[in-house]
Amino acid sequence: MNNSMVLLKNLLRSTSQWNQYRHTRDRRKKGRIIGNFIGYSVLYLMLMAYCVSSCIGYGKIGIAEVIPILCAITISLLSFLLTLFKTNGYLFNFKEYDMLMSLPFMPGTVAGCKFLYMYVKSLPWNLSISIAMLIGYALYAKPAVSAVMAWIVLSFFLPLIPMLAAAFLGFLIAKISAGFKKKSIIQTVLSFLVVLFVFALRFIVEAVGRSGRIELVLTEMSGYIKDITAYYPPAAWFSRAAAEGDLLYMLLLAGVSIALFEIVFLLVGRNYSSINSKLKSHAAAGKFSMKAQKSRSIYNAIAYKEFRRMTGSSVYMTNVGMGELMALILGIVILFVDVDQLLGKMFNGVSLTKEMLYPAIPLVVHLIVGMVATTVVSPSLEGKNFWIVRSLPISGKQLYQGKMLFNMYLMVPFSLFATICICISAAAPLLTGILCVTLSFCLCALSTAWGCVCGIRHMKLEWENEIEVIKQGAAVMIYLFPNMLVSIGMIVLSVFLGTKIDRNIILAALIALVSILAAFCYRRACSLAEK
Amino acid sequence: MKAVLEIKNYTKVYGGGKKAADNVCLTVEAGDIYGFIGHNGAGKSTTIRAVVGVLDFTEGEIYIDGHSVKDEALECKKITAYIPDNPDLYENLSGIQYLDFIADVFRIDGNKRQEVLKKYADAFEITDSLGDLISSYSHGMKQKLAIISALIHEPKLIVMDEPFVGLDPKAAYTLKQIMHEMCKKGTAIFFSTHVLDVAEKLCNKVAIIKGGKIIDSGSMEELVGKKSLEEVFLEVQDEQ
Repeated sequence: MNNSMVLLKNLLRSTSQWNQYRHTRDRRKKGRIIGNFIGYSVLYLMLMAYCVSSCIGYGKIGIAEVIPILCAITISLLSFLLTLFKTNGYLFNFKEYDMLMSLPFMPGTVAGCKFLYMYVKSLPWNLSISIAMLIGYALYAKPAVSAVMAWIVLSFFLPLIPMLAAAFLGFLIAKISAGFKKKSIIQTVLSFLVVLFVFALRFIVEAVGRSGRIELVLTEMSGYIKDITAYYPPAAWFSRAAAEGDLLYMLLLAGVSIALFEIVFLLVGRNYSSINSKLKSHAAAGKFSMKAQKSRSIYNAIAYKEFRRMTGSSVYMTNVGMGELMALILGIVILFVDVDQLLGKMFNGVSLTKEMLYPAIPLVVHLIVGMVATTVVSPSLEGKNFWIVRSLPISGKQLYQGKMLFNMYLMVPFSLFATICICISAAAPLLTGILCVTLSFCLCALSTAWGCVCGIRHMKLEWENEIEVIKQGAAVMIYLFPNMLVSIGMIVLSVFLGTKIDRNIILAALIALVSILAAFCYRRACSLAEK
Repeated sequence: MKAVLEIKNYTKVYGGGKKAADNVCLTVEAGDIYGFIGHNGAGKSTTIRAVVGVLDFTEGEIYIDGHSVKDEALECKKITAYIPDNPDLYENLSGIQYLDFIADVFRIDGNKRQEVLKKYADAFEITDSLGDLISSYSHGMKQKLAIISALIHEPKLIVMDEPFVGLDPKAAYTLKQIMHEMCKKGTAIFFSTHVLDVAEKLCNKVAIIKGGKIIDSGSMEELVGKKSLEEVFLEVQDEQ
């Protein structure tokens, strides 16, 4: 086995739940591992069920031929975005860097293995989507066996090109920020800019695709999806190989993926050591002079500690702060948009007025801001430093109250800003506006408390890389999906009810419901904290 | 004696222009136990991390057994072992899995591997714990594991940053015995420490670093004379 394989095997083994299950003597830990396994299996099954049912829908409206392209685009977009968020933590500035670099590995080997580790870890998600869409496609298109085989084989290659593109962008961000004194801040700002650009790009492509046919209807959808392949040829290669079993396109996709991997890690390898040296070492200024110190309450002291923890890690900041940044942008942009026109374009032909949508305003904002609460990850992020907070003369309840306070400090201003801006733009009456703002605040409280429950219950202090906690932790998954589903469910329900009942009554009912849920979660979080 | 580690005019300048190491020169020969002492923040760890190829440097050259750390990094790493002050090991591997990983990287065959691992694991009394996850180890046990992993490939140069921190008295004694044993075989040892008594008894050569500059170095006898290393250290620190 060559050294790359030895390292990759070891990286995978060092985070493998099965390996921990085999070697731990802690029964509770074993139970948690089984619970995680069941939880993830259910998530994969849910994802597969969603993909199969979507494909059945496409089949029923007669556009089954676009399923391979959709599969390629879905996996590529997901892989690109998720890798972009993870690259900073996985490829650069990781904990065991000194240990690995002192061993006889070439820098490019370490970087390449770290990338392949990310790739293997994301494979279950990508394969769940791909296999499920293959099943849906096979029901309608009846592909040849060779095409099915090509689909399965190429499912392993499909995420590589977008992941390599994201990793290369991450490398450029790290290289640029390594030259600055405030490396972490520069890294965070550049990461935000790239993600925002990608989101903007999506709308630009959509706008270009829609030009000349403003009213996009289902019959036109097939052509529109096919147009996208002009912007991303690998999706077309996958489609040609998987739908027609064309060997040439199969080799093209596989070959380009492998060649790109070699080129990217040749470039990354050349600069890897110098970038990490700059990112991991910094001189102490040594210019501190003692001044009057500011005292804070216990809760504010914990909240301030949480703030410093967040701003000290670009991975943490980009993952947690993205919702807040998007809410800020949404709030500003909405002030310059005609809401009636926007609704007209979004719900073409559906008789919806902006008045009916008032109750949904705080819920839409919450869907963005509440994507990840800091309380979900901050208990686990204590990691090896957990002893510091445990040895302080404060109760567990006070500690988590401080953590919850920080999340409220972070979420509430952005949430309220976006809600108020939308209310102004939609010309909501004063009472409705006040109710929207109140609901927005209650939703922040619910997110905070629910996040804390998930964070404490699924606390993982023994992590190798903070990404494991921030992006892949069980706490995040368990927080994210119910939070998203409940938010979407409430949006649909409130819009539906908005057509029948007075909007202020709906808002008042939602405030009551969310407050009860938030209070319940808060009590649960406090009782877990005391344990 | 043959020079195993040669540091020539090594300088490390950080982004803000601050020099963490300034024109450092020293030579560690085969069989030497070379102590590297200095205050906190004097530049010991920065120098050590540059020697083992973890940290880039601004000027100068570092050679290990004649190979340049800059240009022939892989050759240098094959014959070097590094034990950091606070080893970041893979917490979710068992002790034996971690040692196997290191042995695989250095291509140590099965029989040799078993022989070396048994010898040192027994010496440090952690054989029984090798099947447990590293996350369940105490700091001292992790340190012992890092030391064993450094000895697997019989390196020509062992570089250690504060190796005695966290070790119990018996393990510290065992480590000293192993250092002597390795030394007799011609291995060069370069380590930093704050425990001056240990350095005085263990090392045949020593260098004192302050503010990134070597302020005194040489054989222990030359440097110390009739005084103790502690006295000499405090004197030269105050003089500079």
